[in-house]
Amino acid sequence: MLLAVALALLAPIALRAAASVPPAPAAYFNDYAGFVSSGVARTLDARLAQFERDTSSQILVAIFPRLPAGAALEDYTVRTAQAWGAGRKGRDNGAVLFVFVADRALRIEVGYGLEGRLTDAISHAIIENELKPRLRAGRPAEALDAAVNAMIAASTGEYRGTGRTVADDKRGIAGGRPGGFNLVAVFWLGVALLILLSQFRRNHTYLNQNPRRRSRHDHTPWWGGGSGGGGGWSGGGGFSGGGGSFGGGGASGKW
Amino acid sequence: MKKLLIALGVIALLGVIAVSYVVGIYNGLVNSQQAVDAQWAQVQNVYQRRADLIPNLVNTVAGAANFEKSTLTEITEARASVGKVTLDASKAPADAAQLAEFEKAQGKLSSALSRLLVVSERYPDLKATGNFAALQSQLEGSENRIAVERGRFNEAALAYNASIKRVPAVFFAGVFGFNERPYFAAAASAQTPPEVKFDFGKTTK
Repeated sequence: MLLAVALALLAPIALRAAASVPPAPAAYFNDYAGFVSSGVARTLDARLAQFERDTSSQILVAIFPRLPAGAALEDYTVRTAQAWGAGRKGRDNGAVLFVFVADRALRIEVGYGLEGRLTDAISHAIIENELKPRLRAGRPAEALDAAVNAMIAASTGEYRGTGRTVADDKRGIAGGRPGGFNLVAVFWLGVALLILLSQFRRNHTYLNQNPRRRSRHDHTPWWGGGSGGGGGWSGGGGFSGGGGSFGGGGASGKW
Repeated sequence: MKKLLIALGVIALLGVIAVSYVVGIYNGLVNSQQAVDAQWAQVQNVYQRRADLIPNLVNTVAGAANFEKSTLTEITEARASVGKVTLDASKAPADAAQLAEFEKAQGKLSSALSRLLVVSERYPDLKATGNFAALQSQLEGSENRIAVERGRFNEAALAYNASIKRVPAVFFAGVFGFNERPYFAAAASAQTPPEVKFDFGKTTK
């Protein structure tokens, strides 16, 4: 009886463990296998960050040492890409290039919104023509550079960027998103006024005693949202998923 | 008199709480039912995508010198029978038999297509054409999308079926017409290992 209960309690945990995906990355180019030099990784990361600023599309590269035991390639990659949420919510304009070094397996996972540009046929061609020959020749840096360029070239033109990445927006650079921010600001301004008003009625010398407090309430909305603002434009701002969705588009291959 | 009013007030308050509780559960059920229907539309969508690829594929393959006619006929017929099983795209089937029929027709098409790809291995000229390579990758992509969306449909249906069977909801789910939705079954052929036949000597008809 106890055993049955224990098993019943453990079952969902076991299921979740089987379905677990790696945590979302903090960069666009993620080499977890030490496959290329850090200089190459930085260059490609900066290129992909700039691509998001230009087009709002998020393209990621993830290089793993191997597929987890018992995981099927396409199932694992689509769940991982979905969990990472590459691409903007609603646009679903994300794509992830997966490399599993020990398995010599490749997979390009394409979000719904990029399927029209980065089609299965083009993904297949990128794997066959850009990646495979160079990987077989032992030139991984060139292979990834060419693949990233080809993915960028194929995905350009579908969406227009805002000049900022999701990570930039989350840090609150340059005022954050206009619509939501203003509503929140107006709400807090209203609350602040109400508090001031009630305190003013109770004790009208209050304002005179605390001039600094008053000025802070008055100015809150014009400062830009309380999150303190980031350090402005810094090259590699890091990746933050926009909540894009994936439906299994793309192509796979082995080298 | 005052006590009676208080008692009435308490009862009315309890009534309002109970009604809003049931309304909350009802809305939850509606949401998860909508999720199943939305996912069903996605499933139809990817199956349609595959069906749309077939005329192009058949044309390309038929262009290859003396390609096996029987394989092509089989595909064309399977596609036609898929077209005959029409289910409402906006609402997930409530009837398990209906879904089984849909699956059977699609399964026939799947096996005809995989046979086509196997047969095409014997035609190096065909495989060398860029058009065929592109079509093959699209077909593989379609099959993968189908697997993904079927999996998500089953997840949505599982969540919905569980929600109508959980304790407060189970008492009135039936009254409001929330009935269990069927799942996609794994293909029967997926459970039996594939049969490998070597028929040397009679490869082409």
